[in-house]
Amino acid sequence: MYQASETINHKVETKMTENPLPGKRKSQLVDRNVRETVGQAKVPNFRMRCENVNVYYQFGEKKAINNVTLDIGKNEVIAMIGPSGCGKSTFIRCLNRMNDTIEGCRVEGTILLDDTDIYDKKIDVVPLRARIGMVFQKPNPFPKSIYDNIAYGPKIHGLVQNRQETDELVEQSLKRAGLWNEVKDRLTQPGTGLSGGQQQRLCIARTIAVNPEVILMDEPCSALDPIATAVIEDLIDELKKEYSIAIVTHSMQQASRVSQRTAFFHMGDLIEIGPTDQIFLSPLHQLTNDYITGRFG
Amino acid sequence: MNKPENTTSGSVRTVDLVQKGLARRYKAEKRFRRMGLCAISFSLLCLAVLFISIFGSGYSAFQQTVIELDIVLDPSGLNPNNLAGADFNGLVKTALYNMFPEVKDRGEKKKLLSLLSSGAAYKLADFVKAHPDRIGKALSLWVPADDDVDMLMKGHINRNLPETERRLNDQQISWIEALEEQGKIKKKFNTTFFTAGDSREPELAGIWGATCGSFYTLVITLILSFPIGVAAAVYLEEFAPKNRFTDIIEVNINNLAAVPSIVFGLLGLAVFLNFFELPRSSSLVGGLVLTLMTLPTIIIAGRAALKSVPPSIREAALGVGASKTQMVAHHVLPLAMPGMLTGTIIGMARALGETAPLLMIGMVAFIVDIPGGFTDPSTALPVQIFLWADSPERGFMEKTSAAIMVLLVFLVIMNSAAVYLRKKYEKRW
Amino acid sequence: MKKLLLSVLSLVFIAGVGNVGAESRDYISIVGSSTVYPFSTVVAENFGKTTKFKTPKIESTGSGGGHKLFGAGVGVQHPDITNSSRRIQKSEVETAMKNGINEIVEIKIGYDGIVIANSKKAKQFNLTRKDIFLALAANVPNPDGTPTVVPNPYKTWKDVNPELPAMAIEVLGPPPTSGTRDAFVELVMETGGKKFEFIKAMEKADGKQFKSICHTVREDGPYIEAGENDNLIVQKLDANPNALGIFGFSFLDQNADKLQGSVVEGVAPVFEAIADGSYPVSRPLFFYVKKAHVDQIPGIREYLKEFTSEKAWGDEGYLTDKGLIPMPAAERKKYSDIANNLTPLNASDL
Repeated sequence: MYQASETINHKVETKMTENPLPGKRKSQLVDRNVRETVGQAKVPNFRMRCENVNVYYQFGEKKAINNVTLDIGKNEVIAMIGPSGCGKSTFIRCLNRMNDTIEGCRVEGTILLDDTDIYDKKIDVVPLRARIGMVFQKPNPFPKSIYDNIAYGPKIHGLVQNRQETDELVEQSLKRAGLWNEVKDRLTQPGTGLSGGQQQRLCIARTIAVNPEVILMDEPCSALDPIATAVIEDLIDELKKEYSIAIVTHSMQQASRVSQRTAFFHMGDLIEIGPTDQIFLSPLHQLTNDYITGRFG
Repeated sequence: MNKPENTTSGSVRTVDLVQKGLARRYKAEKRFRRMGLCAISFSLLCLAVLFISIFGSGYSAFQQTVIELDIVLDPSGLNPNNLAGADFNGLVKTALYNMFPEVKDRGEKKKLLSLLSSGAAYKLADFVKAHPDRIGKALSLWVPADDDVDMLMKGHINRNLPETERRLNDQQISWIEALEEQGKIKKKFNTTFFTAGDSREPELAGIWGATCGSFYTLVITLILSFPIGVAAAVYLEEFAPKNRFTDIIEVNINNLAAVPSIVFGLLGLAVFLNFFELPRSSSLVGGLVLTLMTLPTIIIAGRAALKSVPPSIREAALGVGASKTQMVAHHVLPLAMPGMLTGTIIGMARALGETAPLLMIGMVAFIVDIPGGFTDPSTALPVQIFLWADSPERGFMEKTSAAIMVLLVFLVIMNSAAVYLRKKYEKRW
Repeated sequence: MKKLLLSVLSLVFIAGVGNVGAESRDYISIVGSSTVYPFSTVVAENFGKTTKFKTPKIESTGSGGGHKLFGAGVGVQHPDITNSSRRIQKSEVETAMKNGINEIVEIKIGYDGIVIANSKKAKQFNLTRKDIFLALAANVPNPDGTPTVVPNPYKTWKDVNPELPAMAIEVLGPPPTSGTRDAFVELVMETGGKKFEFIKAMEKADGKQFKSICHTVREDGPYIEAGENDNLIVQKLDANPNALGIFGFSFLDQNADKLQGSVVEGVAPVFEAIADGSYPVSRPLFFYVKKAHVDQIPGIREYLKEFTSEKAWGDEGYLTDKGLIPMPAAERKKYSDIANNLTPLNASDL
């Protein structure tokens, strides 16, 4: 575990040194007051496509997301960064209709999963959420045993028929989440008894147990220490082979370490989107530049 | 104040100011603590006074004075096939007269007989029914003494008072003293108190009937109010739309929780007795009325418990694709259950101690037979206390306190169960 | 799921037993006066223990409440017998008639004395009804002798009657809902008021005002309503030797070591004096039987027999132990005949 985090740190350092001094290319940057998205929002091989998404809170009184268009490609990790309150969490929660549970919240625009509109009236959110899994900021295992935590989703969706299948699926999910070796002897113990990092990996295992197509992660490491964070980041790297992942993060280093593309949000607008290297090395928008160089946020 | 010139920096002055105010702040804190301590001590004192006075006047009720009679079960008057017709009273009388052969006068005999409880003959009858093989033999049997004798033995009647001011005259006391010398009168643990129903004779009265009545009533209350209360709480908290209508419902529920319980009794009288014509005085109706009274408590406690379930658990369940009902049933409800159970137990404890609504539906009544079911007429523990407290016989005073003690024991058990449940299941997430 | 099943089952169960319960009743249901309650319960208990019938259920609802329940109709949900510490009123009989109760059997069971007592620690009082009226009425005749009433100015017993001790007037008594209070007002206050000629004249001329003078008990402190619980009064009197209390004779009888009854009109409230009628403050006690129920509910005849037997209400009967003052033998004979023959009450007798 410790080894892993060191390598990552090393990688980051290299990247950071390549970062040109801020201010040098000031004249070439898009002006601060431009609110249109800069960069390549769409990709040809998308898994999810969001077009002109607007989100309102408090029965339309407050607008949280303003006209965001964004694609999530297949087998890619897309990071969403931005200062607090910029709307990145709100946006990611639109992607599996988690915002439905918030009273007075309204989502406009189109969000496609493959080619189905997930906000279509005919769409049932229950199977939708099985296809688009979510990992939350605070590790939130059910107050049940480790085993039941994993088995719960498959059971309610009917993915397993008997005890044996369940056992296999639980083992497989825990293995993929890199938790098997740590918990295999105490599957019947409560999931809440694990450490923070283990709990978060348990939540990831729980999410992948229902075999989703997209995994949304809302600041999954913000409550974890650096070592646990590194383990999760390695896990994300693994998972992108099979899933599309959208991750909201406060840590620019984390974004640069795990993602292929990065989206920068500011006050409800998607300011800039592009390949992660480009965002961090040569951003096109003045606000992005300000943010990644630490002038605000 | 000599201000040192060289240390005029702001930090030093801040420290001085803080120091100056510190004593005052600590004093305020101490004062506050002392006030709190006084409040606690005062309430503890009140509680202690209550307990001591109840215990002091009630503990003697757990003992009963009994007199030993040497009875010859003369087979001529006892037909084993028709024991109901036997003159057990006569046997008891004969046995007592034999102990005091010097008593000849009819008036004196009556006085002598009044030392024994009218329950003595019933006691003998029960014994013979249980042991028909003893007919024809002699036996010695401890039978209950009259409540006046009981009071005297327990020291509630002063033997030194002038004769006219006692309920027992000098001759009766001399008989009792004679019995004491022979070891034929003693105090023993009062099993009657725990096994008998109500009676007009303090020495024969027990709380078992009232306990059964309370039990049946609470069973009805529990099996109705718990599911209904939980269902209502879950619906209101998790599913109901938040609009004016549900606001009105909420206000009404909170209101109902504060409505005096007698109102529920009136409602029960109008609805269950007059409209549905359910049997008056039955624990069924009592349970229904107490259900109405307990429901708001359970609903409010249930909603609070549901509210306290962290949103992260809800999100987790929804996040893996649970439907709303599954989220509630599988995750939220189990987590809220300890809180709901606590609310239910507290509601039940309140129902157990309630008299006023039962007054209206006829459960405040003299009922001797132990209720055997939900429709039998029955009383409840607090009602029994109320009735005994209103009885003129001195012996009922200690019975009242003893019944209060029993009720308190039940309440303590129920409230401890609530605390235990809360402690055990609290904070598992 | 289990819970749901349980609750459904229980509802079915309740519906089941509820129906059974409403259709029949195998015990006698008695309501009424709290004064008669101690006597009828003893009879009920003896009846239950010595016969094959169930012990009657007795509710203490007060005389008025009892008549209301009793007169509500015929059927198992209505009581069979009501106890009363006063005679049934014409209006109550009329209500009962309206509800289909045509025949009511009236049984008088004996007398109850109302005593005015204080703690043995203090001196025994020797009162007249006039003294009591002056001490407790809200408005009393003007002390200057003019035939007008003024708000009660008396603070001590000595103010009322110079022969009485100079003690503050402090009387614990029953509230207006009590039958004891009705009887007290009628037997003591009215008679006391009538000692004044102008009030006596008022009875004929202006019954309403007569009643308002005689029936209104003062509310400025000296009269303390102590609730229906007579035991509470006994305890308070024991603790406070300066106070007097008003309650039924049976409570004095049971607490003779602590309390003494005040002498009223020269007669002390002792058993014999109440029985022979020389103690002025006593009232008859009754119970009323619904004749239509007699053969519907098992045991009513036998209960009447037990109540009217000499071993219960006779001179030496067990009811006298509980403080009931027996009727003279002739009167007992009359009412036991009524009980045997179930002779209904004639409304015109009232």
